[in-house]
Amino acid sequence: MAAAVSTETVNITVNDIELVVPKGELVVEAVKRLGLEIPIFCYHPRLKPVGMCRMCLVEVGFKQPDGTVRKMPKPQAGCTLPVSEGMAVYTDTDAVKRDRKGVLEFLLANHPLDCPICDRGGECPLQNNTLAYGPSTSRFVEMKRHLPKAYPLSQYVTLDLERCIQCGRCVRFTEEISGDSQLAFRFRGASMQPSTFQLTDFESKFSGNVIEICPVGALTSAKYRFRARPWDLQTSPGICTVTPCGTNIWFDHRSGKFVRVNGRTNEGVNEEWTCDRTKFGHDFYNAADRLATPFRRDGEAFNAASWSEASQAVLAAFADGGEGVAVLVSPTLSNESLFMTQRLVRDTFKTNNIDFRPSGGLAWSERLENKYGLDPVGGTIADLEHAGSILVFGASLADEQPMTFLRVRKAWFSHGARVVVAHEVATEADSFADVVLRYNPGSAAVVAAGLRQLLAKVEGKFTPEHVESVSGVPADKLRAAAASLGENGAVVTTRRLAKPAAEILAVAAHETGRTFLHMGPHANTEGAAALGALPDTLPGGVKAETAGLDTKGILDAAAAGKLKALWLVGVDAFSLGDRDLVSRALENVETLVVTDYRPTESAEYASWLLPLALPAEQDGTYTSSERRVQHMGAILQAPGEARAQWQVAQELAARSGAAPVFSTSEVRSLIDSVAPDYASLTMAKVIDGGELLPRRGQSPHDLEKLAQTLGGL
Amino acid sequence: MSFDVFRDVAKPIVSGFGITARRLKADKVTVQYPEERREQFPRTRWRHVLTRYDSGLERCIGCSLCAGACPAKCIYVEAAENTDEARFSPGERYSHRYEINMLRCIFCGYCQDACPTGAIVLRQDFELANYEREDFIYTKEMLLEPIR
Ligand code: SF4
Ligand code: SF4
Ligand code: SF4
Ligand code: SF4
Ligand code: FES
Repeated sequence: MAAAVSTETVNITVNDIELVVPKGELVVEAVKRLGLEIPIFCYHPRLKPVGMCRMCLVEVGFKQPDGTVRKMPKPQAGCTLPVSEGMAVYTDTDAVKRDRKGVLEFLLANHPLDCPICDRGGECPLQNNTLAYGPSTSRFVEMKRHLPKAYPLSQYVTLDLERCIQCGRCVRFTEEISGDSQLAFRFRGASMQPSTFQLTDFESKFSGNVIEICPVGALTSAKYRFRARPWDLQTSPGICTVTPCGTNIWFDHRSGKFVRVNGRTNEGVNEEWTCDRTKFGHDFYNAADRLATPFRRDGEAFNAASWSEASQAVLAAFADGGEGVAVLVSPTLSNESLFMTQRLVRDTFKTNNIDFRPSGGLAWSERLENKYGLDPVGGTIADLEHAGSILVFGASLADEQPMTFLRVRKAWFSHGARVVVAHEVATEADSFADVVLRYNPGSAAVVAAGLRQLLAKVEGKFTPEHVESVSGVPADKLRAAAASLGENGAVVTTRRLAKPAAEILAVAAHETGRTFLHMGPHANTEGAAALGALPDTLPGGVKAETAGLDTKGILDAAAAGKLKALWLVGVDAFSLGDRDLVSRALENVETLVVTDYRPTESAEYASWLLPLALPAEQDGTYTSSERRVQHMGAILQAPGEARAQWQVAQELAARSGAAPVFSTSEVRSLIDSVAPDYASLTMAKVIDGGELLPRRGQSPHDLEKLAQTLGGL
Repeated sequence: MSFDVFRDVAKPIVSGFGITARRLKADKVTVQYPEERREQFPRTRWRHVLTRYDSGLERCIGCSLCAGACPAKCIYVEAAENTDEARFSPGERYSHRYEINMLRCIFCGYCQDACPTGAIVLRQDFELANYEREDFIYTKEMLLEPIR
């Protein structure tokens, strides 16, 4: 993070070339404007400069009135020096070159130089800087220091102390960005070592990032350890589909096998960070039991079958099934897959029995946008950075919305936003919250109502004292929270928060002019909802004439033997709750079709088991929790005959007479014809950084209905 | 020009036999391969060998530098970690899989040049013919020197 940059400019020269730059910009950043580079180790544009490694030494002077330049007697660290009027910077004089050689020689004196076995070799800033600026031979003939190698800091991060150059990037990351302050330096001088305080595990939800920002191979990934060298890998831009954030990633693969994930810069979403679920949670691509062909159940056994047989069998069981058939889909499928599946369900299966939500879920008329005309996601992750105050309600953001968490923390750390956290249990965000409201389980709505009353300055029964009696939140804490939240800002919560609380918060946010973000839990929750994977909603958010069964209804109907056929697409029914109900449901349907990438528990009940291609194995778009539509191309090949769900759905539709669809771009034009939000997107933007779906815009109506909700508390 | 049997037929034949007769006295240059073999130059670069240290441990540390240097992209290396129970090479890392596609190899020796431990060397075995294409994928087991 550069020092505060004002709009004022100053005149400087870099290697005698004149340049106008914002006042206060750091010298390392200013020279980039000329395409020059100052070598660095400890400086990181998103961290505070500390000047620990001295790699960035430059000569600096000032213009004298007579036009000459008077140089400072000693070289200066470019990463800690802000530019000022008349400054003359020299980045490649003989003195600077000598200084760089000297710095590198010192660093290398203590460095093991085991590049051939170092996971950083090939993409190592120390190698690169040494090659570009360093001495070509060593004068150091003495014994090198010996320190622990491959010390496991955590299950993910391995520390090789010999390679550490004590730049402090890892320590600063945990202090400034992730906020868990897990790492610190022990000892001083040449024996300085990064480690956790009590030599405990490095417990952080963002620990993977230190591997990427460490300028040497001191911190390496335990999962990537010795798996490949950078030049063995192919890398492709991808999107994380295991979190709802839409984190941009580099998807590294070798010989068609997934190898590792690195953060990819997208200022709007993840800046350059990843959470550990993203960084270390993609191993399922290499699952040993990936399905590669359709399987038919013959008695107890599963026998491989062809897609053609499978399609016929599925059609025979589902086509024109009406009320007797149902489909549950996963909200991690692509927009294209979800859209084609719901189209198949409605047009060919002639039913509205489709749902993606684990349980319950709101009916069409109960949803914020329909009930009140309020936008459930009225802002973006990036907007949060400049919100003066942020209320985080009923969510453990670091777990549920990791990138939103980092942005909220950045708003507090870099821009002084006041943060209020209200939740039943302690969360990471408590550490920087101005006020923490810890309420009793089940009393979220009352706390929300109490906050609304204070913020919107309305009368009602939810006085701080009443709230205290119900929720256990002290009355003055609630008042302090309202005071801290001030006049404007943002309200962040997730779909996990039960209905009345979210509704009250949405109205409160509207009444007080705050941005409201009600964020969904999966990679494509928003897409599934917008594109009609719901029993009562058609693509484009249009209400269905007759509502079908929701997840709970489907399971109940199946358990009662009222369903002839059930299709689970990417969903393990046992993850949907009540195991008893689920096993009865699965036993009682005649035909159970399970589409998944590997055999799940539900698959044991299946009549047909169909192989599913994973997100990186197909072309597709995803709508993240801030309603950003992003694209991921087919990076890997799906194993065997595994297919993307949109292909399966289109084949079934085509077999029963619909016009065939040959590509995802054709699917996207179909989507555009029924979902105006998606029609307004430009594919070029979707591919390059993603594009936000248009805000619905607030068109509030029926706000008085809230009184009913409040009355019910 | 008229045709002359002596000048145009008999004389060339006789002088031809003369050359042969003179050669008969000189040393022979052909060898009776495969029974006989010519001595090779010491720096001949043919079939690769993965060498070992005198202790019997493999030199190869699975660093993939040879694969990176190879202009024909015909080396595939997969590394793994040594443990005290299963130790293949000194240090932390060894090559778990090492393959060279001899059909693509151009015997340039860059791999030998790049190798930091002197593990991969090109030696003098040039008899690489085979019947199946698959047989030209030389695996680590085929390349590794036997323990002396
Ligand atoms: S950190 Fe860089 S310089 Fe050091 S051993 Fe690893 S690759 Fe080599
Ligand atoms: S472990 Fe890496 S990031 Fe941390 S201080 Fe050492 S060199 Fe810097
Ligand atoms: S000799 Fe040349 S072409 Fe053959 S494996 Fe070595 S580097 Fe590759
Ligand atoms: S042969 Fe040499 S260069 Fe190739 S992987 Fe083994 S040690 Fe590395
Ligand atoms: S980059 Fe400036 S001192 Fe390290």
